[in-house]
Amino acid sequence: MKFKDKHRFVRSNMKKNRTRVWMTILASTIGCAFLIMLASIGFAIHKTAVNDVMSFRMVNEIQVVKENGRMTEKDVKKLEQVKGVKTVTRKKYVPANQLSLGEYHNFADVMSAHVPSEEKAGFELEKGRMPKAKNEIVVGYHFAEELRKDLPEGLSEEETQKKMKEFSYKGDLLNETLKYHLTTAGPENKAEGPVKTVDVKIVGIGKKPTREWARDNSVFITEELYHEVISVLRKQDPKIISDNELKSYGEVKAFTATAEDVKEVTDRIEKLEYMTYSIIKELKEMNVYFTLFKAGLIFIGAIAVLIASIGIFNTMTMAVTERSQDIGIMKAIGATPKTIKRIFLLESAYIGLWGVGLGTILAYITSYGVNFVLPIIIEQFVNEKPPEGFMLSYIPWSLTLIAVTICMGVTLLSGWRPAAKATTVDVLKALRRDV
Amino acid sequence: MISVSNLSYAFKIGKKGKENIIPVLHDVNLQVAEGEIVAVVGRSGSGKSTLLNLISGFIQSEVGSITINGTDVSKFSESKWAEFRLNHLGFIFQSFQLIPSMSAFENVELPLVLKGVSVTERKKKAEEMLKRVGLESFQHHYPGELSGGQQQRVSIARALILNPPLILADEPTGSLDSENEKQLLSFVKELNEKYGITFLMITHDHEVASIAHRKVEIIDGYLREEKTLHEVQR
Ligand SMILES: Nc1ncnc2c1ncn2[C@@H]1O[C@H](COP(=O)(O)OP(=O)(O)OP(=O)(O)O)[C@@H](O)[C@H]1O
Ligand SMILES: [Mg+2]
Repeated sequence: MKFKDKHRFVRSNMKKNRTRVWMTILASTIGCAFLIMLASIGFAIHKTAVNDVMSFRMVNEIQVVKENGRMTEKDVKKLEQVKGVKTVTRKKYVPANQLSLGEYHNFADVMSAHVPSEEKAGFELEKGRMPKAKNEIVVGYHFAEELRKDLPEGLSEEETQKKMKEFSYKGDLLNETLKYHLTTAGPENKAEGPVKTVDVKIVGIGKKPTREWARDNSVFITEELYHEVISVLRKQDPKIISDNELKSYGEVKAFTATAEDVKEVTDRIEKLEYMTYSIIKELKEMNVYFTLFKAGLIFIGAIAVLIASIGIFNTMTMAVTERSQDIGIMKAIGATPKTIKRIFLLESAYIGLWGVGLGTILAYITSYGVNFVLPIIIEQFVNEKPPEGFMLSYIPWSLTLIAVTICMGVTLLSGWRPAAKATTVDVLKALRRDV
Repeated sequence: MISVSNLSYAFKIGKKGKENIIPVLHDVNLQVAEGEIVAVVGRSGSGKSTLLNLISGFIQSEVGSITINGTDVSKFSESKWAEFRLNHLGFIFQSFQLIPSMSAFENVELPLVLKGVSVTERKKKAEEMLKRVGLESFQHHYPGELSGGQQQRVSIARALILNPPLILADEPTGSLDSENEKQLLSFVKELNEKYGITFLMITHDHEVASIAHRKVEIIDGYLREEKTLHEVQR
């Protein structure tokens, strides 16, 4: 018997009991949608956690530190020789943080960076260029937002939040000249007396970070300016930075060409007796935990599918009982047990497919709906904006695939017995009409 | 065409452990030659249907052997039997055994569907066959919308559609009036004469004379052969 004919057969059989079939499909739909929705919460939390980790690090970066002592130029050279390392960025943090433009101030993360390696590691500019002269600087994308007028004292937290934006610098900072305060004083410990400043010109502004919630308020200064700043700072307080520190780097990161290389390269670097931190390492531990969590949710969701499958079992058992006379006649004429079995398996498969298909669509719609509506509700009741990129439900392809596999598996399993029962219909009893 | 030797059969009824064994057929030997019409007669409950069911493979005996068309079928598995029935046997039943949810056309084409014949060929063959039994205008009628005689003609069309060399019939005229009975018997005769189809049919005595070449009688499970008037004349 050809598949097309089996299909036609099954279709006409399903049509005969439309209500019953649709009710069974409905049960499967709900079961499948429930499974996906429940698990999607786990996937969403996992994704949020991963994004959180990723927002602090790039996938292909490996932070390298020494077990004892600080990373020096020698270490950088050594790392650059390691196979698979594309480039090594090194940064020195500057303890002087304040920059100002008129009445606007910003306490930024000032650092001196090695420009060629930064560029190689993927640092890109939104506009402008990299610094050439000593007093040229590049600022991060959010520098302008953080550059703001002093807020009036005694504001409540809520008002502060509101005012922050208002007080930010609104214009274009490119080619503006700012005053860099050569002091370690910050907003908490105000400097006493006049502070020496140096004029710096913004020649470039960094690209917006790819992670939505990452904020880039960094300032890159040149190596020469760094030394000048340090010498001024040391005059104020000789202990502020040791000779040793001066020669070493505050942060050294090795970059690989692709994320896949990270593991191998990490192993190689660790062989050289460095300690490493990479996203892959962090994610690995996290993944174990979340995989268990998600498996638990899928298991609970699968129970719903199991309950729905009882419906399929009943429907198919009834279908077999109702049609046992037809089955008997077909067997008498020459239908093999295999053919009979396939016809009934196909019928349960169709019910399952409909259920899975509709269930998946329903789950996607619900998921989008929840993600869209829930933040609005939260805002209404709690009066607080949920974090950017907030998700309660996330359905990746893998989840859909898992759900479809579980649903179809359970469906076929529950259709199996009725189909097997159909093959055992006794021809003579059926012909005698007493089945 | 059919060779039955030393065939015995007993029904087992009741629960396992305390089964009741009801012997029905005893050491039956029967030869049916190609092109023959053989009538099986006997009193009610003598075992006629049981014999036919054994030859059809609906039930299986552990004692004796059955050979049909040169194939020993006595040890066939269920699926082998199904295949064999589809390809070699045609059936006509007393109660027609049409599938009620299928139209006359669909019932007739069912063996072709099971065999995997293409739609166009199916349509051609089934229409031709329905025409031969005089039901071309009833193609789309369902069994419930046909008279008994018409239903039996549909079932004959279904039995013939794959050109089986042998047709087994258990009281094919049992549910028909005398008019339809006559028609059916003459059609059987025509098929036998024109196409050489062999028939093994359970009938009533008075029908035998008109068409059967030979008559066998089952008496309490034992088979006894009698020559018919028809054969003597030949
Ligand atoms: N399924 C069964 N289980 C047990 N005994 C059965 C079964 N079918 C038939 N028998 C018994 O086998 C014997 C033969 O039955 P069978 O149906 O072959 O008779 P028959 O000659 O065809 O009678 P009729 O002319 O009334 O159709 C009967 O005594 C009957 O009681
Ligand atoms: Mg009988």
